[in-house]
Amino acid sequence: MINIYIILTTSTNLLVGMTNLLSLGQAALYGIGAYLAVLALMALHLSLLPTLIFVILGTSLLSLLVAYPSLRLRGDYFVLATLGFQLIVFTILYNWVSVTKGPYGIPGIPSLVLFGDIIISGIIPYLILSSIFAIGVIIIFYKLIHSPFGRALKAVRDDELSAQAIGRNVTALKIWAFVVSSGFIGISGLLYASYVSYIDPTSFNLDEAIFILSAVIIGGTGNIKGPIVGAVFVVVLPELLRFVGLPDSVAANLRQIIYGLMIIILMRLRPQGLAGEYALK
Amino acid sequence: MNNDTILNIDSIRKSFVRNIVNVRGKDEDERFFLLEDIDLLVSKGKVTALIGGNGTGKTTLFNIISGFFNADEGKISFMSYGKHVELTGINAYKIARLGIGRMFQDNHIFQNMSVLENMLIADDKFFGERPFESILFYKINNTIEKQRKEKAEKIFAELFGDNNPFLKMKNEKAKNLSYGQQRLLGLARLLMGDYKLLLLDEPTSGVNPLVVEKIKELIKYFVEQKELTIFLIEHNMNFVLDVADFCHFMSKGIIAMGGTPEDIIGNPEVRKAYLGI
Repeated sequence: MINIYIILTTSTNLLVGMTNLLSLGQAALYGIGAYLAVLALMALHLSLLPTLIFVILGTSLLSLLVAYPSLRLRGDYFVLATLGFQLIVFTILYNWVSVTKGPYGIPGIPSLVLFGDIIISGIIPYLILSSIFAIGVIIIFYKLIHSPFGRALKAVRDDELSAQAIGRNVTALKIWAFVVSSGFIGISGLLYASYVSYIDPTSFNLDEAIFILSAVIIGGTGNIKGPIVGAVFVVVLPELLRFVGLPDSVAANLRQIIYGLMIIILMRLRPQGLAGEYALK
Repeated sequence: MNNDTILNIDSIRKSFVRNIVNVRGKDEDERFFLLEDIDLLVSKGKVTALIGGNGTGKTTLFNIISGFFNADEGKISFMSYGKHVELTGINAYKIARLGIGRMFQDNHIFQNMSVLENMLIADDKFFGERPFESILFYKINNTIEKQRKEKAEKIFAELFGDNNPFLKMKNEKAKNLSYGQQRLLGLARLLMGDYKLLLLDEPTSGVNPLVVEKIKELIKYFVEQKELTIFLIEHNMNFVLDVADFCHFMSKGIIAMGGTPEDIIGNPEVRKAYLGI
């Protein structure tokens, strides 16, 4: 799960930390990735690599549908547009029973087939696979952040007017950021679907979107280690609470309270998050 | 438009809506023309100054030229790389790519980026700014990045001498620079692009006399060494007298007067309407 969340937060950082686009639609994209993966694995019987490509391209293309109109909006209106996207996707996943099986969910998702007959099943091989993906994604985003592309995104984040005045196409850069980030979020959907082998729409609801965003904000944005810290924190904290020996009913609520408090305290004392570089305003 | 003209502003009109209380005491929206009818030529290779009272629409005119606003009527044509281009209705970023650089009144540098990054981002080569370009073609990208860095450092050295604060602080965030230094960085950044015309909005506002002298020096350097054309808005009359070749006085939505800076600033009407003496 840590690896899945690392991919989610690292990809989201490209939007939130690098471009200052707060998106509430990340869980929708995560869900789209998961359902596309199920489609590829169960209906098309693809092996890992084609599934991966299918999921990345599919999620990117679908994200373009929301990116193109909503990125012409500014600030808060963009957040609202992504919120709308999140709710629409959730509603479709929940109600299009003939395709997604709606609230019943899809059970029995097969394990990933690497190639030939090498099947990835069991905890350890799966851990290795997801770690490889997470590290790959971290490396790619590290490169992206430190490339001229990342610099252009930072320019858009700091000052859109100036970015235009030096000839940078702000809308195109934002769309790129959104689409690239979405493509990688699709990967975490794929990993999740094959890991738990059962998906239903409630894993990809608004709570999840807020949870992903919280992880990014707690960890910090604008660099590569912030989102990783955030992902580790939100995944490890529940385990720690369990370790302390609190009953489950208390621990679950306490967790929510801790996240909420963390965000408030961090916003006041350390707006760049635990390990981030860019202070959200 | 003859060959000596780089920018031709032809009958530009721009209106805004303002909310007023009418004679019956009710709120009412009223359309008024801030720019009534602006005609202006900017000569190539010269410094042209635009003066006028606060709120007369000087910055609005600049925003129309750079594409941030659309004019209601009129057209602007620009001599870009030997071709006449109609600027009306073109996106701001495309206008910048045609060769019009812009410096804003309140600096507008990228605060959270390093001093060097502020320069690199303004480069006229866009290679690597599409998402995977820099990873797929990392060799080309590395070469171009190296060229960019050399270009930026050379500009710093040429403008401010060796051992200047910008070279020393190149990896620090730009917000750590003083206001005057940020202004100078904004000017230096303009040299990274391949611009023909620079629009400077009050380059000397809010900076100390030493920096004003430096800006004078830079403008002369831009025009003489880099063969750039400069069109600036300014309230500092001594500065205008020192750097400008031509001066235009804007009042009540039109260019009321144009000529040499000495003529305009010496003109009794201008002195009365604007300077109040």
